[in-house]
Amino acid sequence: MKHPARWIAGAVGLVVVAFGVVLALNVGTDPGNGVKTSPLQNKAAPAFDLPTLDGTRITDADLQGKWTVINFWNTWCVPCQQELPELKKFVKAHAGDDTVQTVGIVRDPQEPKAVIAKYAKATGMDWTLALDPGSKAALDFATRGQPETFLVAPNGEVLVYFYGPVTQRVLDQALAAAGGPTS
Amino acid sequence: MRAALGYGAVAFGAAASVVGITALLLGLQVRDPMMLRLGRRCMYVVLLAALFAAGVMESALLSHDFSIRYVAENSAIATPRLFLVTGLWAALEGSILLWAVILGGYLSFVAFKFRKRGHDPLVVAACITGLVVSLFFFALMLGPANPFRTLSTVPLDGNGPNPLLQNNVLMAFHPPILYLGYVGFTVPFMFGIGALVTGRFSEGWLEDTRRATLFAWGFLTVGIILGAWWSYEVLGWGGFWAWDPVENASLLPWLTGTAFIHSVIVQERRGMLRVWNLSLVIATFSLTILGTFLTRSGVIDSVHAFSKSDIGPWLLTFLFVIMATGIGLVFWRGDALRSPGKIDSAVSRESAFLANNLLFSALAFVVLLGTVFPLIAEALRGNQISVGEPYFDRMATPIGLALLFLMAAAPALPWRATSGEVLRKRMLVPAWIGGLTMLVTVLLGARGLAEVLAYGLGAFATAGIVRQFYLGARGRKRALGESPTVALGRATRSNPRLYGGLVVHLGVVMIAVVLAASSAYGANREVHLAKGQSAEVGGYTLTYLGSFETRSAQKNSTHARIRITKGGSNLGVYTPSISTFPNSSDGIGTPSVRTGVVDDVYLTLVSGADDTGRVTIGIRINTMIVWLWLGGAVMAIGTIMAIAPRLRRKPRDVVDPAGPDGVTDAPAAPAAPAEVAAGAHAGGEPGGSEARVEA
Amino acid sequence: MRKWLPWIALGIVVVVALAVVVWPRGAQSPAARAHTLETELKCPECEGLAVADSNAPTSRAIRADVKQRIAEGQSDDEIRQAYVERYGEEILLQPKGSGISLLVWVLPVVVLVVGAFGIGFVLARNRRAPMLHASEADEQLVERAREQQQ
Repeated sequence: MKHPARWIAGAVGLVVVAFGVVLALNVGTDPGNGVKTSPLQNKAAPAFDLPTLDGTRITDADLQGKWTVINFWNTWCVPCQQELPELKKFVKAHAGDDTVQTVGIVRDPQEPKAVIAKYAKATGMDWTLALDPGSKAALDFATRGQPETFLVAPNGEVLVYFYGPVTQRVLDQALAAAGGPTS
Repeated sequence: MRAALGYGAVAFGAAASVVGITALLLGLQVRDPMMLRLGRRCMYVVLLAALFAAGVMESALLSHDFSIRYVAENSAIATPRLFLVTGLWAALEGSILLWAVILGGYLSFVAFKFRKRGHDPLVVAACITGLVVSLFFFALMLGPANPFRTLSTVPLDGNGPNPLLQNNVLMAFHPPILYLGYVGFTVPFMFGIGALVTGRFSEGWLEDTRRATLFAWGFLTVGIILGAWWSYEVLGWGGFWAWDPVENASLLPWLTGTAFIHSVIVQERRGMLRVWNLSLVIATFSLTILGTFLTRSGVIDSVHAFSKSDIGPWLLTFLFVIMATGIGLVFWRGDALRSPGKIDSAVSRESAFLANNLLFSALAFVVLLGTVFPLIAEALRGNQISVGEPYFDRMATPIGLALLFLMAAAPALPWRATSGEVLRKRMLVPAWIGGLTMLVTVLLGARGLAEVLAYGLGAFATAGIVRQFYLGARGRKRALGESPTVALGRATRSNPRLYGGLVVHLGVVMIAVVLAASSAYGANREVHLAKGQSAEVGGYTLTYLGSFETRSAQKNSTHARIRITKGGSNLGVYTPSISTFPNSSDGIGTPSVRTGVVDDVYLTLVSGADDTGRVTIGIRINTMIVWLWLGGAVMAIGTIMAIAPRLRRKPRDVVDPAGPDGVTDAPAAPAAPAEVAAGAHAGGEPGGSEARVEA
Repeated sequence: MRKWLPWIALGIVVVVALAVVVWPRGAQSPAARAHTLETELKCPECEGLAVADSNAPTSRAIRADVKQRIAEGQSDDEIRQAYVERYGEEILLQPKGSGISLLVWVLPVVVLVVGAFGIGFVLARNRRAPMLHASEADEQLVERAREQQQ
């Protein structure tokens, strides 16, 4: 009987070609950039109850009725430092508007409160800053790192998700597109 | 200036490859020995060009020549000298340069070894194949992976190497050793293609490359074990193998390579499994290229992955060329590859090797499938899924246990066919030792299925190995009157392939036992300790003595001093640490491990002293890890033994008519491949009448 | 029959040992359950590490969360499902046994079974067709040799 070498070679060849097509399609795409959408998209923002830097507490109830920008950050993350001036500009532009609020959540449970307070004062972060002991909020918001920013509508629904540093323009565009106030 | 020199050397190497290929092709066509010699000489030139380019790069690194982009990205003024030297292979472009150097070395070895057979079409075809491979790698360096790219503005200081790559002296050893393995498989591949092209696919090409293949395999094995050790001692996550894509990339060619070195024994002995052997060697080489592609093209997320570059399409194309050539050649030769012999019985050494091939191939398939499945799923359905450790462990464990069983049983199986009587004589006692070991471990409390089976099969295998050594020594003692130790030594050295292989198997048993033992869940805790406070984990008492900081130009570190005591006796002070490097904000943890014979105490500093002065220490008790490294060393020793030349019999030795290995069922002779047949065309190895050829 | 006795006895010993090992032993402890789940969940901010092996803040949070869910009485599947809903299917390190992920479990088994059958087939075919008669090529070879002799 003839040796099945030809059949085997043919079959293997087919599999290899199929496999190669898959690989070729993927070359040039960065897996890290994959699908950076949030599973919270168009869903209600998760419940949270966090202590703030100035001793009060902030909960998801405080989201109701206002356009909220929730920004996960910490003091040592370089992209967070890069987006800080942009966030400041955004906050300043909407300073007079009661319907827009910004909440920063520190995404590092180990960082001492004093260090955060000092950093915030030095860099002029004059919006609500919350701490996240136990990283519960980071988990509930399905964050993968920092900085990550969420735009929440007045009814509590998560509208837009940004992975990585944001700019004032991007935030304003999102706000306008959702029907929110312009600066 | 340097960049030009380096790039010039790379171009020279590429040119030498082209000249070599052309000269060899022409020389073969017109049968001109001068042409052939020129072609061979080009292989030496390739090595010299690669060495020169590497030398230029090292000189650039050591003198902080930041005009070269690679130097600026992978070193800094503060980098210690050792890590400047290892910077040669710290990143993508340099690693290709290292590959070229080692490939040049292997090509020169082939050119030298076969210098007297330069007219042989098989050798010429093999050399052409080798030069095509070298041409590819030099072309990579001329194009997308150019290590000598310059910067228009020269920075004052470089970025420094990746912090993880300047933490440990292993950086000097692991990549070169791994590459000596990886690249070494080019040699049997070259000859396999040569065999297919010239139609001489019986056993010659196997014997020509036997030692080089074992050499490469040995280095790949050690390289993988070193990688596991690095992961364990340096990276700090407490394990040694994570089924990470880069780790898998090194394991895949090892799996098919191991199948290959076993399967060739059947072809040497009985001329069978030709298609298997050719396929395995093509697969092994292809997997080295695939692995390089996976880790350097950015296609897969991994802790290890090199930064993304344009090298992906090139590697993929080359991979296709290789596979198409290999598969095409096998397809073309088709039925001519059929072996003269057939497998006679299902219970025979040949069948065991065939099953071995299937199991290793299946395991390689599992590892490959798991590694690339996220890509496939995304391409087919757009789903993002992960395939991680639980999958690989679950699939690999049954296959691994089956392989362990084969390893224990196969050396005792005779060739061609067997009888119940022979099986009983050879296997019953070792099998009983295995079974009793299982029972004893269960009685002592072991409760994992895989764990208990591994212990039993490991004992079975060890008993078989010990039996072989004993019979070999005893046979010599009886026939030649040597003392037991001398007999053992001489028996081992007179059949290095068999005994070296058995020693390697012994190392495998050690590793298998550790893998089994560590699958049982060990103690793992995090504790917050103030100065002077202690915690108890797994029978050990750990006391936090205090922290201290060290600063150097290269890094700042916080160390915590922990005293370990057990049962009252002080086992020493260990200092896990966290380091930060100037150009990166991440803190890199360095564990501190107390290595014991039975278990390791593995300490990590999770976070340094907080406001209250308490530190968080991670404590893991890992069982029997040291036997992994020892097992790796044993495998290396066995490989060296197997490559070593045989002890030649002195003419005045008394020859026992029953054979050198004794009268009773002598396992050494049937277990050994027919050295006689092999000796005929081996490079200077008169096999003589030593091994009794089994009819 | 007697010559098989030592093998049968060995078989019994092995079966007994294995039986003790696989005997159902009651539910896993909560700590063991937590650990198993932690090895199956990927750390969202690391590259490929499991929650069990990573010390990133999210991993620690997940460990605490899993512990709490087990205490609340959720089953392993419910916990896995909760995380899939939150992070997507890629949070699971062990692919599900449904949908396209089924392929990754099934294909290796198929390969092994097909391979084993292939080998079995080759062995059986060899046994069934002993080469008792010379083939034509062999006859011709002998003829040629004879001619050369003359």
